[in-house]
Formats: sequence, structure tokens, C-alpha cells
Amino acid sequence: MSLIRILQGNAQPEVDLRRTYDAIVIGSGAAGGMAAHVMTSKGMKVLLLEAGKKIDTTKELKSTEWPYEHPRRGEMPPDRHALSLNEYTIRQPPYAADTKYAKVHSYVQGWGGSDYSKNIVVDEKEHPYSGTNYAWVRARCLGGKTNIWGRLALRLSDYDFKGKSHDGYGEDWPISYKDIEPYYNRVDEYLGISGVKENLPYLPDSIFQRPTKLAAAELTLRNSLKKMNRVVTPYRAGVTTDGLKHNKYRSRCFGRGACSRRAGGCDIHAAFDSPTGLIYPAMDTGNLTIRTNATAREILVDKDTGKARGVSFVDTETNRTYEAQAKVVVLAASTLESARLMLLSKSSTHPNGIGNSSGHVGHNFCEHVMGPGITGLVKDKIGAPRTLDDGRPGGFYLPRFRNLSEKNPNFIRGYGFEGGAGTQMFPGNALETPGFGAAYKKKVRDYTGAYISMGAFGEVLSRYENQVDVDPEKKDKWGIPVLRFNYKFGDNEKKMCEDMIGTAQEMFEAAGFEIVNVDKKVLTEGWSIHELGTARMGTDSKTSVLNQFQQSHDVKNFFVVDGSSHVSASCQNPTWTIMALAWRSCDYLASEFQKGNL
Amino acid sequence: MDDLTRRDLIKLGAAATVAASLSVGEQLAAQTAPATRTFFTPEELAMVDELSEMIIPTDDHSPGAKAAKVAAYIDSQLADAFEDKDRTTWREGLKLVDQLSRDTTAKTFMQASPDERVAVLTRMAQNEGAPKEPQDVFFIELKARVVNAYYTTDIGIHQDIEYKGNTYLAEFVGFDVSS
Repeated sequence: MSLIRILQGNAQPEVDLRRTYDAIVIGSGAAGGMAAHVMTSKGMKVLLLEAGKKIDTTKELKSTEWPYEHPRRGEMPPDRHALSLNEYTIRQPPYAADTKYAKVHSYVQGWGGSDYSKNIVVDEKEHPYSGTNYAWVRARCLGGKTNIWGRLALRLSDYDFKGKSHDGYGEDWPISYKDIEPYYNRVDEYLGISGVKENLPYLPDSIFQRPTKLAAAELTLRNSLKKMNRVVTPYRAGVTTDGLKHNKYRSRCFGRGACSRRAGGCDIHAAFDSPTGLIYPAMDTGNLTIRTNATAREILVDKDTGKARGVSFVDTETNRTYEAQAKVVVLAASTLESARLMLLSKSSTHPNGIGNSSGHVGHNFCEHVMGPGITGLVKDKIGAPRTLDDGRPGGFYLPRFRNLSEKNPNFIRGYGFEGGAGTQMFPGNALETPGFGAAYKKKVRDYTGAYISMGAFGEVLSRYENQVDVDPEKKDKWGIPVLRFNYKFGDNEKKMCEDMIGTAQEMFEAAGFEIVNVDKKVLTEGWSIHELGTARMGTDSKTSVLNQFQQSHDVKNFFVVDGSSHVSASCQNPTWTIMALAWRSCDYLASEFQKGNL
Repeated sequence: MDDLTRRDLIKLGAAATVAASLSVGEQLAAQTAPATRTFFTPEELAMVDELSEMIIPTDDHSPGAKAAKVAAYIDSQLADAFEDKDRTTWREGLKLVDQLSRDTTAKTFMQASPDERVAVLTRMAQNEGAPKEPQDVFFIELKARVVNAYYTTDIGIHQDIEYKGNTYLAEFVGFDVSS
């Protein structure tokens, strides 16, 4: 059977496996959605393969449902389990082996409201991996992790793109800020972003819509840090706060704050998600065909030319294997899944996996390190009248300040902090306030709005020896070999984390907050969900996988447009850069395609 | 992902883990009707009702745990808990509370006077920061469940905390930052 009717979802063309599409996109998250948007807007006929199912997040997320309106106060069914930090630390992957639970999820399902995201993140039992400890968070569904992402939408600067020129470590990117700036602008205007201009050379401004506001303590911190030449700015959220006239699927933000109470997600789609931001508009062009429940298992190549000719995929429901044909293959399955698929796509012309003549696929794996953080008490807020503090997509961002003009003696690169202050729906201090009784109850109430906290995200250096490969024995539910991790934080990360602890205290003291807790523990590798760099771009085909347009050095009709292409991690959150780069590359791709050069 | 929430829950550590595993009911049943299964005996339920109110009592600001039906919610959680050890922990824990009461008053917890009950709970709470004995450990569990249940009720959210969010705002609230 070569015709498969897609039953769920919007009206969409039938998948025709006899035809040759202009392009196949593998993956429907930030990168895949963007690739589909850009190519369909230029008239290319695109088939989008998504491993998971289509979930109607407009109904699923129930963003404003109160805990007491849910039979389990928002928690998952009791036969499901979320992995804890302790489990990630004391066990080795695969973490869900020998479990009694019906389903096991990554740590994000241990947060409040886990029932609303339980169908978005994967069941670890079906998706095992092996090797070193790693908290790998995956979402297999249309839109992937963009359905629940954290929304912090930051630009990188030439301090990042030209890091090697700045401090001598690693590799420069094959692009500079001026190459990507026009595409950051397009992403801002097409998808919407909230923030305040700060004119910082190391954190370029976006084209911002209406900014959110700061809580009182956050403003105190902002003002006190001016003396130290450090900045606290309202959360730069990938959220449309003014609305988007060109997009009928998304509402503007109404400050419901639902995004901060749960793993994430927005049932009115004010926060960017790939389906409503990119994929549904792309379907409206008539040029996009979507095949969900389609797990790619190999990128097929023409044995004579070595060029990509299509994709072999498994139907996740029936286990049947199909082949789809295309003139161009665009891989956007996420940093780690893309590396896995490239390594699995071995052929006589590409014996190490497609696009891997350099041997660098899976290597130079990097991300952000997390853990150090701080909580302070704002004394004049104790017992103060209640204010509405969490009606916004995020609190504040405190950008990098290390290794810009000065040179730190202990480590290279930098880190930023994300934080927030004020009352939230659930008073977290109730679990930490000792005692019981009337005095306890009053203290919880009086103090709950008086805390401010922040946590750091630091650049993990790109190192060749930090890598993933394919496990020679272990397979997933569909018989596809799993990823094996060989990845550890290094000395630079440890020293950077020590510095985070010190500067966090220094800044809270300067602001006059009473420090009540300092987190010093470094969280398990993977915790930031910002994995990057397993198929990096570069000018040298011996030490990189892709050129500056995310095009394989080896296979000219094969592109990898997700975070795997990043040369270094920076300390800024990657989603906005993933989309700006994908837009730039797919502009180039479409132009080359039309010229017949692919 | 939301990084602030992520951090907060890391900090809450044990409680978040408890919350993740203390759910109720078959998935479908739970989505269509409130949980009605029970685990506690009537005597145990009365005891948990009393203990919960001692932790979060009614005061002149808001109703307490009894009014918020905290014990009944914990009962439904335990009835459907995946792990038998959750139920065992509570059955043994409540026996321990009675034992502590008998040790000092020669009466069961429910027979003891209000002051005597406070003395028992005070003894259980004395090592809250560094629990060692079984009664220390059970106090942490008892309090975590009571806290998680109370502050997710309409009484806890609206009357006690007076939470003002989860509403549609025309404008964001807070302090403007100029460029």
C-alpha cells in the first residue's frame, strides 16, 4: 500500500509514496517547522515526517484549569512515574529498565500539572538509551518540545559566533552576527517576541512587542546591579504579546501565567509552538503534506551518486516500514536524534553514516550546565498585601557578564541567570517552613510573596571527546538501535559553577536580600534541555559536518537544520537561533533548488 | 521548558517526587468522575482529619485543612497509590502516632486532650530539619501531603493565599522598565 490517508488533524493532502517530493523534512519542532514554512512559502512541495502523533494542545493543555478542578490536582495517573534527580544520579541509562510502572517519563513530568503534558513527552520505556548519565527530555508529537518549551528567546552575538577569535578556544562559527541578524529579525516579526531593548553588544536586542513588567524585588535587583555594570531585563519571551495579524492560529498573551505553573505550553498559542506558528500556516499554502507516527530509520541514498533520495520510516502504530522519495532531505529531528539517524544511515558511499566523512557526527556535543542558584528574602514584602506577580510568560533574565572585557583566571566563556520573584499559585515555602499550627500557617501566607530566586545557565565547552554513538546491541520499541552517551562536564564547567555560586550571593547581597538558600549542586548532564553541536558547521570538511548553510559537506542535497549544527553552545538559550539559522539555510536551499544545483 | 518552575521544584525535591507518585484512580475513571475509592478506616480518617487541622488550622484569616477536606483527598490518593509502601507508610505511621500518645498519656491520640495531642505532634516535628526516628520521617510525609492537598484547594488558593493570578489580563502587572 503506497497511499496512506492521514485521518487525524486538519485537512491535508494524502501522503503519496509513489511521487518524489521536492523535499522531505524529518522532525516538526522549531527547526523542522521552520524548514517547512520557508520551503513551502517558496512553492516547494514538502513532506514532513513526524515520529509522534498529532496532539490538539488547544484542548489538551487546559492552561487555566485550577488544581481543584482536576481529580488528581493536575498530577499524572498513579501508574506513571517521573524520574527524579536521584534516579538520574544513582542509576545508569536506560533509566526505565525493570520498572513496575506502566509508563516512565523524564524529570519534567515531576513538576506540577504533569497530567497536561503526559502525552507530549515520551515514555522512557519505549525510548531507551545507554552510556553515561544523561537527563534526556524528548517530546515526540507534532511540534516536539516547542509545545512545552521555556520560551526564553535570546539572540547570540559575535562573542559567541567568534568565540575562538575572542579567547582562542574551539572553533569560530562559519557565520558572524551580521549574516544571521536579518533572519533573527524575520523570526521576531513572524513569530512575536516580548522584551525591552538594552543595547548590549553581547545580547543583541530583538524587534520586541509589548514587554512584560518586573515584580518589585526584580526592579530592586535591576537597579542595584547597575553599579556593577550588570543587567536585569524582563524575560525575553518567544510569546506574542501584541498578537500577529498574519497568523489566525495564535492569540496574543493575556498574562494568565499558565506557562510558568507547568512543564509549559499555552492553549491559546500566544507562546510560540511550531504547529500553530509554522506548520498550520505552511499547510495553508497547499504545499505541505504531513505524515505523523512516522519514525525515520534511515536516510536513503542513491548508490551511484551518493545523493540522498528519500527516507525509510516505520509507522509507529503498525510497525510497517515505508519509503518516501524526495529531491532534497532536510534533517531536523533534534540535536541527538539527528546524530543518531545520520549514524544509522550507512551505505557503500557513506560507510560511517551519511554526511560523516569527517567522523565528527555525534562529537563536539555541548549544551548548558545548570544547578547553581539562589533564593533571597525581600523583607519589606513580608506580610505585604497580595499582588499579582506571575501573570506573565517569565520573570527576568540576567545576561552574561564574565569574560567580556575582562578575562577570568579560572574559566572561559560565560553564564546568565533566569529568575523571578513574588507570589505563585502554590506556596513552595510551605514545604520548607518548619513547624505546624496557626503560627506556621500565618508564616507561609506572610512570606510566600517575599522570595526572589534565580538559577544559572552556563556554556558547556564543545569538546571532541564528548560524543554520542549508536549502541551496538540495544534497540528501541521499533527495533531501531539506540543512542549511547559518552558525555561528561569538564573542569571549565565545574569552575564556572563555583563562580556562579559566588556571584549569585554577591548580587543578592548588593540588592539587600537576605539569602535563605544557595543551591550548589550541579544537575545531571542534559538537565537544561539545550543539547547542541553533534553535526557542527564549519569551513573545513575534515573537522565539520555542515557548511554555513547547514548543508552537508559530503551530500549536497542533504541539510541538517537543528541545534546539531551549532559550533558552540553559548550560554544563551538556543531556540531563536535554531529558527533564524534554519530560515537562512532554507532560503539558500530553495534558491539552489530552483537553480537546479541540488 | 520553564526554567524558574524547574528550579523551584528541584528545590522542593522530595515533595515534588511525592506529588508525582501520589495520584488517584484509573486514568479514564479519574477523568470522568472525582475519585471515590477510600483506604483509611473511619478511625484513621478521623485521625488524619484531626492531624491535618493541627498542621493547618482554621484561623481568623481562612478555614483550615478540615474545611478543605484534606484528609479525604489524602485518602483517595492512598487508595489509588501505585506503591503499596505508600499505604503501609500511613497505616504504620498512624499507629506510631497512637503509640507516642499512649507512651505519654496512656490514651490513644483521639482520646487525648487537645494539649496532649499538640505535645505528640510537637515531639514528631522536633527533628524536621534532620529526621532520624520513624516518627520524624512520618511527620515529613504527613506534612507534605497535607500541604500539597490544602494549598491546591479553592480554600487554600483563594481564601488563604488570596492568589490573584490565573486570570486574563489586558495589561501586564508590575513595574515598567524603560529602555
